[in-house]
Amino acid sequence: MNKTILIPAFILMVVLQLYIPVRMISYKESILTGGKEFKFRTAPIDPTDPFRGKYITLSFEANSFHVANAEEWNQGDPIFVMLGEDEKGFVKINSISKDQPVDDENYVKASIDYIVTDTMSYVTVEYPFTRFYMEESKAQGAQDVYRETARDTNQVAYALVSIKEGDAVIKDVMIDDVPISEVVKQLQEKPQ
Amino acid sequence: MKVRKEITELLNAGVITQETADRITQYYDSKTEPPSNKLVIVFGILGAILVSLGIILILAHNWDSLSRSVKTVIAFIPLLAGQAICGYTLLKKEESVTWREAGSAFLIFSVGACIGLLSQIYNVSGNLASYLFTWTLLCVPIIYVMRSSMASLLYIAGITWYACEIGYWGNSTHESYLYWGMLLLVLPYYYMLYRKRSEGNFFTFHNWFIPLSVVIVLGTVAKDVGDLMFIAYVSLFGLLYLIGNTPFIRDQKIRNNGYLMLGSLGTVGILLVLSFNFFWSDLIDKDFSEKNVFSSVEFLVSALLTLAALSLLIYQKMRQKPLEIKPAELIFLLFIGVFIIGLSSLLSVVLINLLVLGVGILTIREGARENHLGILNYGLLIVTALVICRFFDTDISFVLKGILFVGVGLGFFFANYWMMKKKRVT
Repeated sequence: MNKTILIPAFILMVVLQLYIPVRMISYKESILTGGKEFKFRTAPIDPTDPFRGKYITLSFEANSFHVANAEEWNQGDPIFVMLGEDEKGFVKINSISKDQPVDDENYVKASIDYIVTDTMSYVTVEYPFTRFYMEESKAQGAQDVYRETARDTNQVAYALVSIKEGDAVIKDVMIDDVPISEVVKQLQEKPQ
Repeated sequence: MKVRKEITELLNAGVITQETADRITQYYDSKTEPPSNKLVIVFGILGAILVSLGIILILAHNWDSLSRSVKTVIAFIPLLAGQAICGYTLLKKEESVTWREAGSAFLIFSVGACIGLLSQIYNVSGNLASYLFTWTLLCVPIIYVMRSSMASLLYIAGITWYACEIGYWGNSTHESYLYWGMLLLVLPYYYMLYRKRSEGNFFTFHNWFIPLSVVIVLGTVAKDVGDLMFIAYVSLFGLLYLIGNTPFIRDQKIRNNGYLMLGSLGTVGILLVLSFNFFWSDLIDKDFSEKNVFSSVEFLVSALLTLAALSLLIYQKMRQKPLEIKPAELIFLLFIGVFIIGLSSLLSVVLINLLVLGVGILTIREGARENHLGILNYGLLIVTALVICRFFDTDISFVLKGILFVGVGLGFFFANYWMMKKKRVT
């Protein structure tokens, strides 16, 4: 092929391949720096992603909302979750909606995980921030720490999430206000 | 090369002139890949893939001690290195297949490493499908800019994985339709390969990868009327078989003709599965009147594939003199008839068995006519497979089963003996 076409095409390709990741970074950074922080109480398990390494999967306590009419909601549909805080400062769901809220800024985009229709109908929310990546050597330790917290009711685990205009980025996962990586590190350094 | 030997012989015998000989040599030179050592290309690509995969694994460790900004910078290093290698290749080593293919393979994996790492740094929960989608699309330009067949093959593998992730393994969504658009993006390159390098190994790989990818992904369109997918698949295999017999690929060796082999093996495979009772006794009980069969996506896909195969069949037969019927050519049409009968009668089970037997016998005949031991034995294998399948049916007496086995065994023996003898005589 002619080099006069090939070289500009190559440059275009390079720019495109750099532009997409850079845009991703700037977008996530804007959420981290300009977003509002929320504390989501958690409980996790520990799988691996073949390309992105070890992570812990987080599930959240504030993940279901009572609805009057279950037929109105469909599994997998996108929803907007309006967030509030309980007396301890952890997230609770104020309401859910199919339409983007205009007057309320404290909301996050999510999807419907499943719907429970019993005597009371519930919509279970799947948040778009269920993964927290750990250093390989610490992922197992992190899981153990979590199990411990689940047993010990005095300890509190939560995810610190930054939210801006409905988009969210996890900042850290905390155990009793200490980052989980620190907790695992202390445990690993402690003589057995 | 074999051709060169022949040319020298023809030249010495005075059949062709020096000028004709030169022109023939030139023609074949333009069709084959440049005289680059194949082993070097293979190891170049393999090395590039291993190094880049190693980098992904090292980075996936997720170094806690590094700050977010340092990790972000590191994420771009392999990508920039890959781009630099490709840029250097374009400027200085454009004619080297090894450089182009190895550089492209490295760049593809470093694109994957970069977006994968960023997902890790920012804890993006996006599923594997959306990750594969971004990754494969960012790699499309590499195929054309670098004219890299390896990039194209990796791309086909990537979009197939993406479609499976969404269509088969995803939980609620079924929107794998984007796959078909993504597949179209690679076809211009495939056509270029056919025009310029139809003798090369990479063309052969494409002749396997593309039909195989389509065969794998077709099932993702199934929703409510899954039974119709059998028609879709039989028609797809019929279409592949017909494509395998077009001048575009007909003259390749059989093992290089992925269309023909997949078409034939797929057709026989499905027919064998359906030669059992269970599918048809299920089908007869099903009530299709409640579902909107004619507006279902399965019906649409089946109709489209059947029409495509039928058009190609008619086109081929109109140009063919004398008219000859290949073993598995008409199966897709006959199968639709059998399927319709199967909605109300169990006669279909018998008809399917006859179809398999027919394909087997026609294949044996083709093998005998073309003096091809491979095709002959393939035909015998089809018949054997049918007999083995019937072996599991309990309602046939042991004596009859025994006679069938002895018959097919003797068939193998005599057919091969006869063919060997015939070959020795000629």
